[in-house]
Amino acid sequence: MTPAVQHTDIEPDPALKRFEATEDPDTLILNMGPQHPSTHGVLRILLKLSGEYILQAEPVIGYLHRMHEKMAETRTWVQFIPNMGRVDYLNPLSWNWAYVGSIERLAQIEVPERAEYIRVITAELNRIASHLVWHGAYLLDLGAFTPIMYAFEDREKILDLLQPLSGSRLTYSFFRIGGVAADVDDAFLEGTHRFVQTMRERLPMYDDLVTKNVIFRHRVEGIGPISLDMCRRYGATGPVLRGSGQPYDTRRAEPYSIYHRLAFNIPVEEKGDAMARYRVRMAEIKESLNIIEAAVNEIPDGDHLMKKAPKPRWKAPKGEAYLRWKGPGEKWGCTW
Amino acid sequence: MGDEVLGGIPSLFKAACNPEKTGKKWAVFLEPAVLRNAAQRMKDDGYHLEDITGLDTKDGLLAVYHFDHYTCPGRIALYVIIPHTDPKLPSISSIYSGAGWHERECHDFYGIQFTDHPHLDPLLMPDDLKIHPLLKDDDAHIPLKEFFVPEAIIEKETNFTLLDGTDAPDEATPASNDTEGST
Repeated sequence: MTPAVQHTDIEPDPALKRFEATEDPDTLILNMGPQHPSTHGVLRILLKLSGEYILQAEPVIGYLHRMHEKMAETRTWVQFIPNMGRVDYLNPLSWNWAYVGSIERLAQIEVPERAEYIRVITAELNRIASHLVWHGAYLLDLGAFTPIMYAFEDREKILDLLQPLSGSRLTYSFFRIGGVAADVDDAFLEGTHRFVQTMRERLPMYDDLVTKNVIFRHRVEGIGPISLDMCRRYGATGPVLRGSGQPYDTRRAEPYSIYHRLAFNIPVEEKGDAMARYRVRMAEIKESLNIIEAAVNEIPDGDHLMKKAPKPRWKAPKGEAYLRWKGPGEKWGCTW
Repeated sequence: MGDEVLGGIPSLFKAACNPEKTGKKWAVFLEPAVLRNAAQRMKDDGYHLEDITGLDTKDGLLAVYHFDHYTCPGRIALYVIIPHTDPKLPSISSIYSGAGWHERECHDFYGIQFTDHPHLDPLLMPDDLKIHPLLKDDDAHIPLKEFFVPEAIIEKETNFTLLDGTDAPDEATPASNDTEGST
């Protein structure tokens, strides 16, 4: 029998250093990703397992990191906007907003009212699209294949609305410093209105198919409880925090744009488990629909971009500004 | 005024900021030695840590800690300046568990050594990368007071001179005056 080949020239995996040796013969260390189908090249997790129980997990998260910060050093403020469509490709409009919004705060730029409405409508549409991908992928990871087909069907309607407006289906770079790139037309507003109606009719079907599904409930109820204190220690916001009973929403806590004029509820669940976070996200889709409907009804006439909007070679004034924006996952901040 | 923020923790500089313009309510400069005490106080007062980031300035490496509160929002930024030659800070990851990753990121980008961090391995950068990409060349450094504009200074140690001359915000520069681009 040939001896196992010893690779002495290969450096030990740095992430492995954090695992302590154990005498338990049932404990094993499993490498998951980055080539695992559900981590699709962007995530690797080293897992210490006892049977199917995870005792320790060390994520390696840098695979998708593209150092946008460094790229920004060689671009002008306006040139950098397309990068923000690529930070989170499921919800690029919120990154568009975080970026231009913080610059507007720094330079004290006033955005036309119509542009603010367009931003709210498109960003909330994008939030629903992002939540739908979450919904489908979440269930897919739990072993249910069908829900993602429904979720992607509905997401497709949003992409069809945003595509003619922004010119892209995924990596939108639609916001501009001082407004948005293009005005919305009646077709968009009517289509959005129709989508709100359709989506409202579809949501009960999601609940029947998934939320009330007994197999799904057994998989998520009581799983992964996160206490409020844990949220504070880890700086959790978004559905994680609201699933742990804290009604905290950046659009209320630190209002920006026109959100203070729009009525919406902050969905909260008390239990702090995976089901609570699921329910919060599903309820947020409903709230986003209400916000979109109100904004579509109230959108005023006017400019979609300020007069004398910054040109590509414009330089922001020296200073420091921080804006936080409510993304679909959590609160995001942009500092300059 | 100002006592409700880190009362009892000695600060080098404490200033109120205009939240409309900066997104912050308070800016506090600290000595590295009191950072852990300050973080503990923030946690006891119910604040959560939003992020830790860095800035490479002419006056040294600036570490920025953003805190906010779930029930009474109002961002507080803690600043610590450390020399380029010896960029060391105490880790607050034993107080705020979430700080561990932020500190690893700051170490990736700026090379700040967080002492007592359980494992200061690269978080986002490759394991074998030897540089810290967001450190600037000497000619790209700008002094702190060129971009830091406090609204009203509450406290100031006499030997803290880095921000001298910034206490009178210049109202005449609302910046949107030149949106056409310079040349």
